[in-house]
Amino acid sequence: MMPMAAAAAASGAEAGARAPEDELEPLFDYSRVQPAFAFNFDDTDIENSDIFVHCNKRHKVSNGDADAEDGADEGDKADQKAAPGAKVAAAADLGEEDWLPPPPSKSKDAVRAELEKNSILQELRLQKQVMAKFAESANDILEKLVETAKQKVDAHEPPEHIDLDKSPERQVEKSREKLIITIQEKDGQQQFRVYKDEKFDKLFKAYAKKAKLSPSDLTFVFDGDKINPASTPEDLGLEDDDMIEVRHNP
Amino acid sequence: MSGGIARGRLAEERKAWRKNHPHGFVAKPETMADGTVNLMIWHCTIPGKQGTDWEGGCFPLTLHFSEDYPSKPPKCKFPQGFFHPNVYPSGTVCLSILNEDSGWRPAITVKQILVGIQDLLDQPNPADPAQTDGYHLFIQDPTEYKRRVRLQAKQYPPIV
Repeated sequence: MMPMAAAAAASGAEAGARAPEDELEPLFDYSRVQPAFAFNFDDTDIENSDIFVHCNKRHKVSNGDADAEDGADEGDKADQKAAPGAKVAAAADLGEEDWLPPPPSKSKDAVRAELEKNSILQELRLQKQVMAKFAESANDILEKLVETAKQKVDAHEPPEHIDLDKSPERQVEKSREKLIITIQEKDGQQQFRVYKDEKFDKLFKAYAKKAKLSPSDLTFVFDGDKINPASTPEDLGLEDDDMIEVRHNP
Repeated sequence: MSGGIARGRLAEERKAWRKNHPHGFVAKPETMADGTVNLMIWHCTIPGKQGTDWEGGCFPLTLHFSEDYPSKPPKCKFPQGFFHPNVYPSGTVCLSILNEDSGWRPAITVKQILVGIQDLLDQPNPADPAQTDGYHLFIQDPTEYKRRVRLQAKQYPPIV
C-alpha cells in the first residue's frame, strides 16, 4: 500500500509541472490497479493487499496513518488542481502542442512547398477528372456492347422469346399455367404435366395410347365423379399434385 | 376454438387426400347448395375388396365430424339398414378404432378410417354385434349371409 501511495504522491507532484500529460495518466495506467498477487479467496490478508489501497484510503486517513494521509492528501490536491488547471493548461499550451495542426508557416520555403503541393493537388484533380471520363466512356462502351449483344440475341432468337417480354402475351402464358396430375391406376400411379386450361381429352388420349388401350375403355374419375373429356383441370378446380383415378370399363 | 382445430385438421386431411388416396375410394367434404364447403361432413365411397363377396360394390359412407375432432372420432354411417354384423340399424359403424374409449387416436387419418372400414366389411367381428339380421346369418347361415352380401354389393354399383 505504501508504494502505491508514494507513486500517487509522486504523480501528484509531477502533475503540477506537466499537467496536461499526467493528469490523464491515472485514468489509463492500469498497472496500478491490477493485482500483483495470485488471487485467493481464502486469503485473509487480502484487506491489507495493494489492490484495496484506493478503497481503504478514507478509512486509513481517519485512522491517522500519517504517511497515507500525506500521500492521499497530496494526490487529492493534485487531482483538484488538475481539474480547474486543465482548462488553463490547455489554453496555454495551444500554441506549442505538437498534436495541433502546425500553424501556417510564413517561411518562403513553406509557401513554395505549399504552392507545389497545390500544383500537385491540381494535377491529381485533373488526373481524377480524366480517369472519371475514361470510366464514363468505358461505361458507354459497355452499354453499347450490351445493347448490340441484346439486338443480336433478339435477332437470332425465334419470336417466342420476344413473346415472353411482351406483357399481353405474358398474361396468356400465365393463364396457361401447368399442373402436375397424378393418374392413379389399380396397381400404380403415373404423373402427367398438363396445361390448366387444356381439355382432358388430350391427356386421356395420351394415357390410353401409352397403356395401349382405347380411350373408350377407360373412365377417369375425380372425387368420385366421371371427368368430362371436354372439361379442363381449371374447370374442376384441380391443384398441383392432385390425383385423379382411371378405371377400366368392364 | 376447438372447432378451429377440427377444421384446420380436416382441411389438412382433405389436402392430403387430394394428393394421394387408395384406388377406388372417394372422400370429399359436403358442398352446400350455395357452393360453400362444409368440412364437418364428408361423403365417402368405400369399394368392396376384390376377391371377396363385397367386390363390385361401392358403398356410400358419411363421416360426421364433431367440433371435438380429432380428440373424438367421427361418426361413420352407412345408409340405414346396411347389411353387416357390425353396423347398427341406423347405419353407424361399430369399430374399435372409431370408439373414443378404446381404439381411437387423434393421429388416425381419414384414409386409415376408410381402409379400416373396408377391412371390416369382409372381416366382421362377431364379438361385437350391432344388428341381429347380419349377426345371426353370419353365425348360423353362412350361405345365406354370402348371398345377402353379394346382393347388397349389386345394390351399390360404381357410380361411374
